[in-house]
Amino acid sequence: MSSVAIPARRSTIRRLRYAAPRVFATLLAFVLAAIWLGPLALMVITSIKPNKEFLNGPFALPIAPNFDAYQKVWEGLNFGVLMQNSLLYATTGSALAVLLALVPAFALSRFEIPGKKYVFALLLTGLILPQQTVLIPLYATLRFLHLLDTRIGLIIVHGVYGMPAQILILRGFMTTIPREIEKAAQIEGATDFQIFTKIILPLSIPGIVVGYTLNFIAIWKEFVFALVFLNSESILPVTVGMLKLNSDRYITAFNLPSAGLVISQIPIVILFILTYRGISSGNFVGSVKG
Amino acid sequence: MVSRTNDERYSFIAFARNHVFVTLFGIVTPVLLFACFIGYPIVYTIYLSFFEWNGMAPTKTFVGLANYQYMFGDKYFYISLTNNLKWLAVSLAFPVVLGFLIAYAMRVRAVYFPTLLRTAIFFPVTMSLVAVGLMFLLILNPIFGAFDAVLRALGLGFLVSEWFGDYRIAIYTLACVGGWAFTGLPMIFYFAGIGDVPKETFDAARIEGAGHLRMMLKVALPQLRPVTAVVVMLTLFESLKAFDLIAVMTKGAPFGRTNVLGYLVYLESFWNSRFGYGATVSVAILVLSIAIAGLLLGTVFRDAFDV
Repeated sequence: MSSVAIPARRSTIRRLRYAAPRVFATLLAFVLAAIWLGPLALMVITSIKPNKEFLNGPFALPIAPNFDAYQKVWEGLNFGVLMQNSLLYATTGSALAVLLALVPAFALSRFEIPGKKYVFALLLTGLILPQQTVLIPLYATLRFLHLLDTRIGLIIVHGVYGMPAQILILRGFMTTIPREIEKAAQIEGATDFQIFTKIILPLSIPGIVVGYTLNFIAIWKEFVFALVFLNSESILPVTVGMLKLNSDRYITAFNLPSAGLVISQIPIVILFILTYRGISSGNFVGSVKG
Repeated sequence: MVSRTNDERYSFIAFARNHVFVTLFGIVTPVLLFACFIGYPIVYTIYLSFFEWNGMAPTKTFVGLANYQYMFGDKYFYISLTNNLKWLAVSLAFPVVLGFLIAYAMRVRAVYFPTLLRTAIFFPVTMSLVAVGLMFLLILNPIFGAFDAVLRALGLGFLVSEWFGDYRIAIYTLACVGGWAFTGLPMIFYFAGIGDVPKETFDAARIEGAGHLRMMLKVALPQLRPVTAVVVMLTLFESLKAFDLIAVMTKGAPFGRTNVLGYLVYLESFWNSRFGYGATVSVAILVLSIAIAGLLLGTVFRDAFDV
């Protein structure tokens, strides 16, 4: 019996020796996760903590939690309007970007176009360009077109600046669509347009969803363009409207800015949960690499 | 799809004639849009840098290189430039290295619950930097902030500082907050990249008795050069266009010590109405981006994309 038990015990030890560094690494990982999740959790806790419990310290759990801060900040900052505006910019701006990118992505994934590499170079320039470099001329152009401080002006800018990334993402996706179907269609005499609308477009829907989502998040986060090109309170997006939380009036009570932060992030959290698998697995990275 | 025998003789005109739809909406439209909204603004910025203009007056005054002369004597230009470089250094040392380590640890299954870690680190990438900035203003608040409280509880009270008030560390505080929000991106890129490395490579190295350090340095990193090149470029441009966090958290304070080039452009153009000088600083950002990117692609990453 003992001759059987010894290898068993040895394998337990071996398993422990194998697991020990993994447990240690996991502990480290928990510390890291705490550094990344801690601030977010803290904001949520602070936002439902009544103001009078504030002096109990940042980590004291709320004794009588309530949502007063949410109501106050929602009304004080006119969050309803801000959210509507941000939603409008993010949905339409991303739609425009994807729309503009679809045929170029088709062209770059399927055809040997003379001068293709120059088109790619242009796209990359658009992708990496620091926004500040074009801020002044865009400001002047929008003013010339009477689009400064208008919703449509900002949407156009977002659409055009979203286009390069969308072309790369969609092109990456379309390259993976097998060519046999369109070859058959071609033999039947289908035109490029028919191949695009009947075959490529329906098969590209997963890619479009990923690209649209990434663009939506990018516009929801965007700050510089909206800050410079918009002025009227009624059309500001959340990022610019939220700056008010940084005034002394709000910062004296931590629960108000915390509530504002949580509100501003809710749509993205919903989107994040819905599309989590597609985005954080990094599947889109391959297409960005070109 | 397009069958042809001679690459050289195949001209764009011939292609356009055969593929009207693709040429019109696939090439001409995006190139025109690019020209109007991206190309023209770049050229116009360079043009404007030779003028003095308050942004309102119908006429601009040609001043030659005066704006450039002024820039090279401007104390705030040098402060901003140095701050951008410090930001870049912090971003390369903290989010990029950490992102790689986490991605590696998850891929070789060195930790349990890799998904939890990945989600936690990636989530801030989806947050607006305005929200991130406001959040850390509360957390790093010198009186009521949670961060100082944690330091004191861990017996590290001596580390507590004026995170934004001390001009020597304020820019690093900002860069670290930026790094917190940025780490998820290099992590995802490396995560996808390591996934593409054939598993046999790691297995072979392990059988030969390589430890994790050797596996990272000798197996993973050499195979990941294209990913590293992309990540470093991303970090470079991200650092050079730093703006949001400054605008939310310090507005350049104390004494303009946390100014960065991107914020200087905004201040000079839209607050001081010196659009000509603002354009000049924009050109500096542009030149700097191209120069550093070119330098990196020409030396360290020369062969990164041939793999």
